[in-house]
Order: sequence, then structure tokens, then C-alpha cells
Amino acid sequence: MYRLLPTGVAICAAMCLAFSAVGVCTAQDIRVPQTSTAGEEATISTTGTGKATFYLVGPAVSRKSDLILGEEIHLPAQDLRNAGGYLAVVCSDTCRSAAFYVSAAKPAILTFLVHPSRVPVSRPDAVSGVAIPFDKFHNLVLAPETVNFQSTAGTSSLFSRQARTQDGIAWFRTASGKSAGTVQVVASLDDIAAKRAVQQVASDPCNLRIKGQRTANGIVVETEPVHDCAGNVVPDGTIVTFTATEDNNRSTVDAPIKKGIARAQIEGTGPASISVASGVVMGNELRIGAKP
Amino acid sequence: MNAALKNRRGWCAAACAFSLTFSFILHAADTPVLVQLDAKKAGPRTVESLTGRGILRDYRLAWTSMAQALQFNTADPLEGPFAGEAKQQLLQTVTQQQHSGLTQRYLDQHHRLEAVFYAPEGDVMELHDTAEYQLQLADGGKVIHDEHVVMHFVVLMTPAADRWVIRHLQAVPQF
Repeated sequence: MYRLLPTGVAICAAMCLAFSAVGVCTAQDIRVPQTSTAGEEATISTTGTGKATFYLVGPAVSRKSDLILGEEIHLPAQDLRNAGGYLAVVCSDTCRSAAFYVSAAKPAILTFLVHPSRVPVSRPDAVSGVAIPFDKFHNLVLAPETVNFQSTAGTSSLFSRQARTQDGIAWFRTASGKSAGTVQVVASLDDIAAKRAVQQVASDPCNLRIKGQRTANGIVVETEPVHDCAGNVVPDGTIVTFTATEDNNRSTVDAPIKKGIARAQIEGTGPASISVASGVVMGNELRIGAKP
Repeated sequence: MNAALKNRRGWCAAACAFSLTFSFILHAADTPVLVQLDAKKAGPRTVESLTGRGILRDYRLAWTSMAQALQFNTADPLEGPFAGEAKQQLLQTVTQQQHSGLTQRYLDQHHRLEAVFYAPEGDVMELHDTAEYQLQLADGGKVIHDEHVVMHFVVLMTPAADRWVIRHLQAVPQF
């Protein structure tokens, strides 16, 4: 079936050539732009004489209009906003077609994906970002561009790197910083910039230490202010587990950190040995004497 | 006897014509879309085999849906497989085709997909598609263009709740 049309075209073209001697019709030709940029006008030239129909098919475009062969076809910028492949077809007795491509205009929008939004400090390869430039018509800019990635905490710069887009994409991956707090990550390309925030939180507790004393109701134990190994205060809500061993009896209490300190009350009257842990981190052991 | 034979021939001709027309429509709607995926060069994240299968399934569905939408000038098939700019462009194409009376048919599709970028966190994948198909353009049912084409597409896909969707589909002269 697909071979029928070219055959038909050939027959029609032959008839056209035969009839052109007596002026019934003349064969048309169509010339499309070599290169075209999104959002710019273009012209298509035709040859031949007589009336014809012009079709333009492309991304988000499907247009049909009348045409006098030999005249130029003006393609308004509106019709060429989308980068991609276009097909121009001119039909009179026969149909002729030509394809052309429209490329993206200069970058105007930077899509910037950063992960994660919350990350523990001092983790290798923990933060990554992907930047994708688009032109003002939302076409993907495939021409290589240089994207600057920067991250800052307050006024101090944590990381700065340039990356060239490859197939329209630039990316980075880096370790998280050493201090807890909000880090601003920026991707910029010429005068376009996209900003994202990453919340850096303390890592696992480090040097977990407890103190305690016997009271009328049992034993009150509490941690010293809990920090990670870089000195950041471990966030409130982190669970600390206290374990008391008294005469081969073992009891466990979980307590969340509040304002940097976890506190718990353990019942018991005899001498007790109390240990502490948070996640996989163990702290010191404390011995409390029996109730006098 | 002759009248009966003529009658039978008439029915046969009508049945043949109907069957040809029907098979033509079926062929257009059900033409298989072949998709191959090469994800060996994708990075920085590795494309796991399950992810690769999802991409194959959803890319094939997307092109089947797009072919239906542009052949029958209906937007319904575009719901689901497309999102963002790709969906907007296709919806606009369907709307414009409804006005111009044009339809497009994508027959005998064969897509050779190559994953060229997979984001570290797996939230975007870029693919290059070398697509071969028979492209037919018709004006009110009359075919005005019929050509076997080899096209190159740059594709951005992102994961949605239960599938991968095409967010960007841009034809380029070459990779």
C-alpha cells in the first residue's frame, strides 16, 4: 500500500510534465529553511504556477492554507515556537514535501532538581543536583552550555563547580557540609539562576555521656547535651535508650531528646548499673548505689 | 440462478470492501509498536532491569496512544502517558488538526531507545530514540504524504505514581 502513493505521484508528475507543454499545469517545488530557531519567522519558497494548498505539520502545529505557486510562504514566529521536526507539504496536481528542523532558542529557564531536602552532615556523595536549561518556549536547549553550581551556608561558600551540559543536562554530586543548618544550592547559567534549600542536620550522636542520681521515686538519669562528632546538636526527637540492670533484672526506657538533652526516670531501690545508647552509638555506663 | 449469483457477488464485494476498510482501521489502531532499550551507557545511576522494563512498557504505550490521538484527533489517549510540555504540545496538535481536518498515522513503528542519563536520585531519565515508521498525512481522508521516515527524538521521562511519563519529546536532526 505504501508503494502506491509514490507510484501515483510519479504518474501524476509525468502527466503534469506532459500537460505542461500545453499549459495545463506546471510542476511545483518547495524549498524550506536550512536552519531555523524557535520563535523566529521563516519563509518557504515554491516554484511553479497556479493554485495549490500548503500544509505545515510540526510540534503543536497543523496548518492548512491556500497558496499561489511561485510565491513565498511566510511562517510567522507563532508557528515555529516549538523545537523539533516540521513537515511542509504543497499540493496542486501532485504533492511535494520537505522536512526541516527548528532548534531551541537561548536558555531562559533552568529546571533544577536537588536531593535530598534534608541530609545528615558529613555524608559523602549525599547531595546531588540536576540542571536542565530550557528556552522561553520551554524547548530543551541541547547546545552545550556551562552551568555553575554553588552551595552556601550563611555567607560561607561550601562548594562551587562548573559543569557543561551534555545532551541538555548538567549535574553534580557532593558531600554534605560539616555544620547543621540551611544550605542554599544555586544553579546559574548566564543571568538565569535557580535556588534550592537543603536542610543539613546533625549526624549520629558522638561521645554520649550520662549522669544520674537517686531520688525518692527511683533514679533520674539524663544525658549531657548530645552532639554529633562535628559538634552539631543532635535534633530534638532523636530517641535515646537508657537500660538499667538491677539484681539481674533489666529495664529499658526510651526518651526523646528535648533541647539537646534526653532525660528518664527509672524505678528501683537496689544498686543499679545504667547504660545509654542512641541508634548504634553506645555511651558511658553509670553505677548508682542502693537507696539508703 | 443468475440473479442469485449476482446477489451473492454483490454481497461478497460489499463484505470484501467492509473487511478491507475494517482491517485498515484496525491496522492503524493496533499496529504493533516495537521498542528496544539499551541502558548500558546510562549514568550516573544504573538502570535496574525492572526500571528498564517499566520504561519499555510505558514508552511503547505512549507512542501507541500518541498514534491514536493523532489519527483520530482525540485527546483521550494522551491522558496518562504524557505530562508537562509533551502533553501540552500534543493536545495543541490534536486541537489544530481538528480545525485543519488533517490526520497523521504512524505505522510500523520501531523505536531504538538508548538511555543516556539517569539522575542520581532516579527522578529523571533522558533517552535518545531512533524511530523508524511509516508516516502518513491525510487531509479529510485523502493521503497527501506517505513516507518511511527515520527520526531522532530526545526524550525526558520522569517517574509518576505508577508509571514513567514522557515530559519532553523533541525531534532533532541527529544526536
